[in-house]
Amino acid sequence: MIDRFNTIERGALERAEAIVRSRAALRPRGNWFVPSPEAEGGCGVTGFACTEAVGGRHIYEPSIQMRNRGNGKGGGIAACGLIPADLNVSREVLESHYILQVALLDPSAKGDIEQQFITPSFDVAEAYMVPTLDDHREVELLEVKPPDVARYFVRPKKAALERFRAEKGLEGLTATELEDEFVFQNSTRLNDVFYASGEMRGFVMSHAKNLIIMKIVGYAEAAVQYYRMHDTRAHVWIAHQRYPTKGRVWHPGGAHPFIGLNEALVHNGDFANYHATSEYLSIRNLFPKFMTDTEVSVLIFDLLNRVYKYPLEYIIEALAPTTEGDFDRLPEEKQRVYRQIQAVHVHASPDGPWFFIIARSLAEQKAFQLVGITDTAMLRPQVFALQEGAVSVGLVCSEKQAIDATLASLASEDSRITPLADRYWNARGGSATSGGSFMFTVSPKNGAAGDPTYRMVTTNKFGAAVTLPEGQLHCDLSKPYAVQGEAVTRAHKAAIAEAIEKNDVLDLYLILRGGVSALDYDGFRWLVDEVAARTQTDRPGLGIEALTLALDLRYPTGDKKRSSVLTIVRAGLDRIFEKQPLLRDDGGGVYRRITFETRELLRGPENGETTLLIDARGFTPEGETCDARVATRAWTLGWRRLIHYNSRGTRFHAAGFGPETEGLRVDCYDNPGDYLGSGMDGLEVYVHGNAQDQLCQIAKEGKLVVYGDVGQTFLYGAKGGVHYIMGNAAGRPLINAVGRPKAVINGTALDYLAESFMAGDPLTDGGFVVVNGIEFDEQGEVNPLKHPYPGSNLLSLASGGAVYIRDPEGAVVDEQLNGGVITSLTEADWRLIRPYLEENERLFDIRIKRDLLSVGGEERSPFDVYRKVMPKSMLHTSPNEEYE
Amino acid sequence: MSVTASRNLSQPPKEFVEDPDFARVNRTVRPAPPRYRNELGKYSVHRSAKCESCGQCVVTCEHGVHVRPRPYQLMTRPFDYRCIGPDCEATGNACTQKCPNGALKVMENPAFKTLGDFRWTADLLASTWHMAETGHAPPAHLESEVGNSGGGFDKLRFAFPAAPPKDLRKADIRTEVVLNRRGDDRPKRKIDVPWYGGGMSFGSTNIRVLLSKARVARAWNSFTCTGEGGYPDRFIPYADNVITQMATGLFGVREETLRRAPIVEYKYAQGAKPGLGGHLLGDKNTPAVARLREAVVGTSLFSPFPFHSVYSVEDHKKHLDWVSHITPRSLLSAKVSTPVDVDMVAVGVYYAGAHIVHMDGSYGGTGAAPNIAKKNIAMPIEYAINRVHQFLTDEGIRDNITLIASGGIRTPMDMAKAIALGADAVVVGTGELVAVGCIRCGACESGRGCARSIATTDTELYKIIELEWCTQRLVNLYNAWREMMVDILHRLGLDSVAALRGRTDLLYHLDYERKGAAR
Repeated sequence: MIDRFNTIERGALERAEAIVRSRAALRPRGNWFVPSPEAEGGCGVTGFACTEAVGGRHIYEPSIQMRNRGNGKGGGIAACGLIPADLNVSREVLESHYILQVALLDPSAKGDIEQQFITPSFDVAEAYMVPTLDDHREVELLEVKPPDVARYFVRPKKAALERFRAEKGLEGLTATELEDEFVFQNSTRLNDVFYASGEMRGFVMSHAKNLIIMKIVGYAEAAVQYYRMHDTRAHVWIAHQRYPTKGRVWHPGGAHPFIGLNEALVHNGDFANYHATSEYLSIRNLFPKFMTDTEVSVLIFDLLNRVYKYPLEYIIEALAPTTEGDFDRLPEEKQRVYRQIQAVHVHASPDGPWFFIIARSLAEQKAFQLVGITDTAMLRPQVFALQEGAVSVGLVCSEKQAIDATLASLASEDSRITPLADRYWNARGGSATSGGSFMFTVSPKNGAAGDPTYRMVTTNKFGAAVTLPEGQLHCDLSKPYAVQGEAVTRAHKAAIAEAIEKNDVLDLYLILRGGVSALDYDGFRWLVDEVAARTQTDRPGLGIEALTLALDLRYPTGDKKRSSVLTIVRAGLDRIFEKQPLLRDDGGGVYRRITFETRELLRGPENGETTLLIDARGFTPEGETCDARVATRAWTLGWRRLIHYNSRGTRFHAAGFGPETEGLRVDCYDNPGDYLGSGMDGLEVYVHGNAQDQLCQIAKEGKLVVYGDVGQTFLYGAKGGVHYIMGNAAGRPLINAVGRPKAVINGTALDYLAESFMAGDPLTDGGFVVVNGIEFDEQGEVNPLKHPYPGSNLLSLASGGAVYIRDPEGAVVDEQLNGGVITSLTEADWRLIRPYLEENERLFDIRIKRDLLSVGGEERSPFDVYRKVMPKSMLHTSPNEEYE
Repeated sequence: MSVTASRNLSQPPKEFVEDPDFARVNRTVRPAPPRYRNELGKYSVHRSAKCESCGQCVVTCEHGVHVRPRPYQLMTRPFDYRCIGPDCEATGNACTQKCPNGALKVMENPAFKTLGDFRWTADLLASTWHMAETGHAPPAHLESEVGNSGGGFDKLRFAFPAAPPKDLRKADIRTEVVLNRRGDDRPKRKIDVPWYGGGMSFGSTNIRVLLSKARVARAWNSFTCTGEGGYPDRFIPYADNVITQMATGLFGVREETLRRAPIVEYKYAQGAKPGLGGHLLGDKNTPAVARLREAVVGTSLFSPFPFHSVYSVEDHKKHLDWVSHITPRSLLSAKVSTPVDVDMVAVGVYYAGAHIVHMDGSYGGTGAAPNIAKKNIAMPIEYAINRVHQFLTDEGIRDNITLIASGGIRTPMDMAKAIALGADAVVVGTGELVAVGCIRCGACESGRGCARSIATTDTELYKIIELEWCTQRLVNLYNAWREMMVDILHRLGLDSVAALRGRTDLLYHLDYERKGAAR
């Protein structure tokens, strides 16, 4: 191996060392390390990539949706894959030149900066001040005037470049590599002289090819407004809401995104090893100037990428190493490489929590890339989503609700895009399955003349493609559907009438379900409208329930995309919802509706009214004007059924009702926010779709049903309640739970499932969780996952409770445990969990016999299918023995 | 019995909940003698066989050392823990001098020297016991102001003016502190003394001690805190004076317990063990404790560090928003340790919506905190207080948030120093335990190890402490502390605790400045 290294890789190493050496002059005099002056933790991050170049207004929506993840003291955006006309340059210039953007904290610095760092270094193809609004106060919540930004389209001067090559000993570099390094070092020195020296007169915001960064002291969306980028088009957009804890910030130097060379990085989290990572960089002659770990992150990325020439996979491995059981599952060859990477770059590996979103301009290939990387510990929230069709969109975000806000914004402008993604998922950090990272690469299609058209490929760290089923199409919802012939309408109308007559929800649902496969889009849209129209006045409950089943359950959708079907069904629901009278209106019926505008009119139920519909639009995510606050008041006034809809991340649903809330039912549609059901004590809550983070913390009693996935720390510190999850849980579910919470998770969990579980003995009213390890395919069929629980730390350090896991292949092994033990299922165990699986069957149509107990098409005994993981300490002793 | 019989939490006896008299505790000082026959004192007094029981010493001693219960002639064994030692002989009126038979001998008590530690010296222990017994300042022969730790508050001194202003009357000196300064719609919550009781969980400490802490908080219009072990129903009568803690283990935290609390305290960290969560060893996890925490009897209970749902300041804000949603009228307090960036933490806490930043320094902690953590991590509290105070002042938000310091605050002198450094008020923990008999032996973590039945949850040992006695000791302690605090303010010429805040100009450090050095 040594020989091979000597012969093959010596050249690359020498090249890397030459670059590092060439940067020696960048070392500041004296003490280079300045501790970060601002603690900064979390933030909201979002990004999307699209095969069409779309305007900056579409990063606006998700940014606003995550305002509460920042505090208005730092925000920024990056746009990659721009349109030449929007920047007043030719395509040739856009693709060949670096876009050097200098923030002028002191407007008079422009001349000095140009004289020292632009004119002598660069040929300037185009230069102008980035247009802004006349007065920053026109922008909502923008208190600090953003700096003027000078934009130059530059290439290094030939002579300057050659001098640089000779002086720095960079003979081994290609022309592009040399230009890149020249630009990088030029900017570093500019920042040294005009910023880090204490001058604070200006700094380089970005210097990439076909990528720009704008950042401000304010919320991210204000950057779009102030720099008038609403209509500036790009293929990749990322944004960051910052939450610096220092109160007075006067310039955006510390705001995200940070520039590497051709990549912009935003970051949610903070490093415990900021000093160590800075030191790692300093050894390689890189010195952070802006004193944040985000800058450190992008410098590491650029170092590994451009100096060490690592492929993206290795860069990700250096940042988020594969560990524990996942490492063991890697092929031997990968293990060998990864071991080396981990050993060499251990100090470059940020000690989380962190989550990166990176926009990359792949200048050579004229392609653009959006990358999301989660840390091995998965301590920051993250959701990925994908929509494929005539236009493809890949998204990554801190919260699902912001993804949907982006899609809604895009869909409003382009009918080829639908408001729901085809798939949403979480990445498992440092895993052998996805590497905790996904990237959306937008590249030009071959052979296209004129302005290129683009395609998008979605891959994980290992390069494996994320694919959606072939042959399914989106529905163009911007056009009205065609009038349906009597052949379609007569039979359906009769069936609907009959179902209504019988008040049969299931029948009505089956009519809808049948329509999905039997009818075309137009027919199905008519059918949904018909169901809504027939029920909205006299039987709204029936219509709502039937359509909700169509929204919740999985079934074959044939050539239709499920995302389109759901959009149509949801629109049908909306017709019924909107038809229900407001509290101030006349009208009978059991439903009443309240909106933000009419929230003051809240009163108790009258004349047989039972259900309050709460339209969440306009309500704030938290605080006095949160729709969850309306809900708690409504409960006090006597309402016992509450429906939240049009939620966009508003928080605390089904929480705050206090003790003893049996008899209350809360339904949540669309995007309910974090902390849903936390502290619930008796009530029932149904989430029709995916839920977000911190669900049912400290839940005491009651029932939660989620027709989708749940986010991080589900049931943290819970005491009780019964919980049914149709899909997956993200990291750390049931952590520190005590008492007797019971949960059925039909998918799996990312990691740390039931760590420190203390919930007694499940057989004597303690708590437990059933993990079924299954997933639905696009046709609604139940399939076992490749591994029912791929993570580690299962039931780690627990003293009570149990995990029942569907694992007919015996895939879960002792190495995944820490203080737990795998045992076989007993009769008593099966008697215990069976009723919960029956309810699970009733709720999700996941059948015990057909789906759970059959393996490879054959029905097995539950004792061959389920295994029990319990704390070792409870294996032989009853825990309360000593005291009895 | 089911190990997690949470459904039927044992209901408190009816009178606990309904009898308002029970909850009525007042501030009246009453003697509360030690509960052991031979209380440890600085001096020991020996009565030899020469004694003829003439009773001269009973007449002579002003400190109650010599007692002869009437109508008998017999002398009891001297209460020598009350003896003030050689100081007495200087008055020429000592029992040793007046005894006609030379039967009395006063000497230093060798056992006393073995007592305590550098931070809590024997003198500090004995003076706290004195305060708890009498309700007033300890006698001069005990060093009751500083310990011997060689650092921290023990190296700080006040530069008292030669004489207090003549027109300042002690009766006019105000000691109350407002806890809510945000100017929001939540109650202001004023406490009458510049301290409140720290969190000790049901599970760590004898329930009677905890109840006494709640009762003294009621009497003195201050607060105590449930700690992280849940909210025992027996606290309900004192709910207006009970802070409930939401710590990383979330043990016993429910919507109803949060709603009950005038202040909800988020325990992010403890100064005694930053980077570690709470830790209750299995021996203390008795059936009653396990029931309240809904955990398995006899297992060690670890709280994680940090909150699994809070890894950033925006998570922290979300967390506060959540509790505000559950209990919109409660004040929010964040208890943090003192890392080097504690100033940033404090600002973040403020912007997220908290009313109180509670900084817990590293001098505190009972025997249950591991030494490796207790002695080696975090910034000394005296530096942290001033750093945060300055930082908040520079940010222009100092007057919108209440700064509370804790961790090794033993005496009114410590409190005054903490306030002069920039705190608004302090939280005390160990001091209260010492008042009810703690000797700082450090065996707190073991369920049956506490020599004084304070840090125990054992179903028999806890009965050794009597509730009324325990309450009275604390009532007396609070009275003594307040008198001494007023005395300090008076000597400094300040008319209120608020006027002392941030007056670092009144302090000097023994290592760096000399008393009276030019300022």
